[in-house]
Amino acid sequence: MRKLTAGCAVTAILALPMTAYPSTESDIAELKAMFVEMKSDYERRIADLENRLAAAEKRAVQAEKKSETATERSVAAKRQADKATQQVVALDQKVEAAPAPVSSEPTPKTSAVTSASAFNPQMSVILDGNYYHDGLGGEGAALVGEAFQPEMGHGHEHEEEGHDDHGHEHGGMSNGFNFREAEFWFSATVDPYFDANAMVVVDGDGNVDLEEAWFQTRNLPHGLKVKGGKFLSDFGYINNQHPHQWDFADQNLAYLNLLGDHGLQETGLQLTWLPETPVYTLFGVEVGQGDQERFGVTLDDEEQDEFGLDSTDDGPRLWTAFAKVAPDIGDNHALQFGVSYARNSQHQGLYGFEHEEDDGDHDHDHDHEHEEEHGESGYEGSAGIWGLDLVYKFDGEGDYGHRDFKLQAEYLRATKDTTVRSGEEDLVGRSLDFTSDGLYVQGVYGIFPKLRAGLRYDVFGLTNKVSGAANESFGSSDRWTANLTWDLTEYSRLRAQYARSDILVAPDERERFDAFYLQFIMSLGAHGAHKF
Amino acid sequence: MTIRYLLLLFVMSWTVGAEAKLNLVATTPSMGALAREIGADDINLEVLAPPDRDPHTLQARPTMMRSLRSADMVLAVGADLEVGWLPVAISGAANPRILPGRDGYFEAAAQVNLLDAGGPADRALGDVHPVGNPHVNLDPQRMAQVGQALAVQLGKLDPPNAASYAARADTFSAKVAERLEDWRKVAAGSPGVMLYHRDAIYLLDRLGIPLLGEIEPVPGVPPTGSHLKRLLDEYSGRKGVIIYPLYKSSQVPEKLAGDLGWEAIKLPLDPAKDADGDGYLSLIDEWVVAIASAKK
Repeated sequence: MRKLTAGCAVTAILALPMTAYPSTESDIAELKAMFVEMKSDYERRIADLENRLAAAEKRAVQAEKKSETATERSVAAKRQADKATQQVVALDQKVEAAPAPVSSEPTPKTSAVTSASAFNPQMSVILDGNYYHDGLGGEGAALVGEAFQPEMGHGHEHEEEGHDDHGHEHGGMSNGFNFREAEFWFSATVDPYFDANAMVVVDGDGNVDLEEAWFQTRNLPHGLKVKGGKFLSDFGYINNQHPHQWDFADQNLAYLNLLGDHGLQETGLQLTWLPETPVYTLFGVEVGQGDQERFGVTLDDEEQDEFGLDSTDDGPRLWTAFAKVAPDIGDNHALQFGVSYARNSQHQGLYGFEHEEDDGDHDHDHDHEHEEEHGESGYEGSAGIWGLDLVYKFDGEGDYGHRDFKLQAEYLRATKDTTVRSGEEDLVGRSLDFTSDGLYVQGVYGIFPKLRAGLRYDVFGLTNKVSGAANESFGSSDRWTANLTWDLTEYSRLRAQYARSDILVAPDERERFDAFYLQFIMSLGAHGAHKF
Repeated sequence: MTIRYLLLLFVMSWTVGAEAKLNLVATTPSMGALAREIGADDINLEVLAPPDRDPHTLQARPTMMRSLRSADMVLAVGADLEVGWLPVAISGAANPRILPGRDGYFEAAAQVNLLDAGGPADRALGDVHPVGNPHVNLDPQRMAQVGQALAVQLGKLDPPNAASYAARADTFSAKVAERLEDWRKVAAGSPGVMLYHRDAIYLLDRLGIPLLGEIEPVPGVPPTGSHLKRLLDEYSGRKGVIIYPLYKSSQVPEKLAGDLGWEAIKLPLDPAKDADGDGYLSLIDEWVVAIASAKK
């Protein structure tokens, strides 16, 4: 019956162009195609509504059966049925009346309306590229992550070398245009029990790296969650952020030199607990395999044999613990403190001891020392690092982030307690402890709508020493950075950044240089959410 | 030892206090007002966003996660309005009760027909919402419909009070039906309203008042000179009023209104954080008066 009226209406519509005397055949064909499309569209809508009406009626009947227990529900279902009928009638009338635009959309059935879930998994791509220039012919971008510390200067560059050559590296930059990376982010609810995420990063040379791939539980009670897979640790604050989420184009000196380009990126498990305390308090622990760039480095099998070090085939070797507290200080402010600790049970390296008579002017000796086999000793032990973080955000109530302010600061301190295992015979068995630390403080303020100005001071090596079998202390490296970030929309961002670095590259050699970035970040696909 | 004991006491006192009533968390004050109207004294309520903030650009804060951690139900406007922060906050809350798709997750936009739906998912057109315009909260009729659905949902979580929820939803529907006639009468004949953003189109549509364009060239993008000139050319010599939200700078609306010889009125899109249903209806009163002021 309803189909019939719709059919009649469509026939009437189809007949309309006859009277309009279209001038050319192509016009007629175009109109016909349009009406066929409209016809199928209306038929689809009507069929859809009929199905839903039938379903609603069925539900109403079912509800009536149970009406003693659930009268409300039957009323609601009947209402829905009535509404659906009205809509079908209304739609029929519209079809009969004219091909007027249909404004009333069918009532949605789901409990949530979002365009993102139309795709399963939800997908987004982030493009991050820049124009870079520094006073060192492009070496500055890598140099900021290679500030001198006693561990590195004396031994030779081990695993990192290989990593830099083959893996993708955030720091690697040339003077001129660079495409830093394209991040492909997939996330979905797997089933009622798990959510999962994967992030694949492709750098400008086409190297592919699996940055994160993990699952997380949905259903655990008491505020517990378990995450497993490969993920960025929730140690500290900036550690779990990807480069496009940073407020500056590059990572701070403390993280670069203590944890490496990727920070604490681990394969393992995480347990977090959010208890129902009056103030937001989150506790977490993680266990990870322990394959790290800087923190808990290990040598390869060959070197372990050569220098008498333990093999490191067994994991897990790394664990972390962290707590965050965020007092409620009103709608305009947000504040969070965090304290974190991480421990890697294996940390290995090679150290070139200086001979007593060598004291004083040693210039660039250590650069060549690894060639003299007798000067290299293997050491191993464990590594620990603790961190304090603070984030404060002020909502300035302005347009597009105008007058918003964000202050972020972290302090990290790492100690590596090791023992000499080989090399200098009189030193074997003695302790060799490395201590280094770093911090950064940064503020970002919305000077105009959509335009933010940022200022950062970061320093590595306030303490930068080795004690035990060798006793030496070295200077620090620091940097001032200022930038302007223009958020055209939520999806595109342009940034100009200038930095003045003073990096200790050898015990008494410094590089002072300027570095300049022009960066773009484009976000495609699903609307990303902003983490705190 | 004593610290552990104190902590235990803390936790216990919290759970004891929360035992009887449903804990509701509303994203915006409009949703909060509706929850107060339908839930009255049978619920505890917390509202996350203040009325003077754009709920689309809000950021997730740990304190929100803390509120959601203890929630039995979260009430969102939905249709991606809170997409920038609510999913993160819900995920951070580690509370399976309020995950989307469960009984503890409620979206207003999912209960009613949406305008502007089915547009192209093309962000060259700004921050568009292909699923539909999310700002349903300014249409009292749709809010009454949402109230009915909310009563059913609350009844599922709290069967002993199901009848009270349903009765209060009916009362609210009646209040809206009663006022709607008046609102239509007061607003009737208004030459139209220019908005900053398409955030009041549901109310205009309900009252049958023409929309005279938006100050934003496309959603989420600040006005450009050429767009403002186009608006000026199109509407000069005509009557109307500009109504813009609290969180937008008054500079552009005032300037444009001055050039057109209109009035620019700054109005909240949400009632006060502690408003109930009547507070919400008073907000609609304010809007209707503002809309009618275009007749002068």
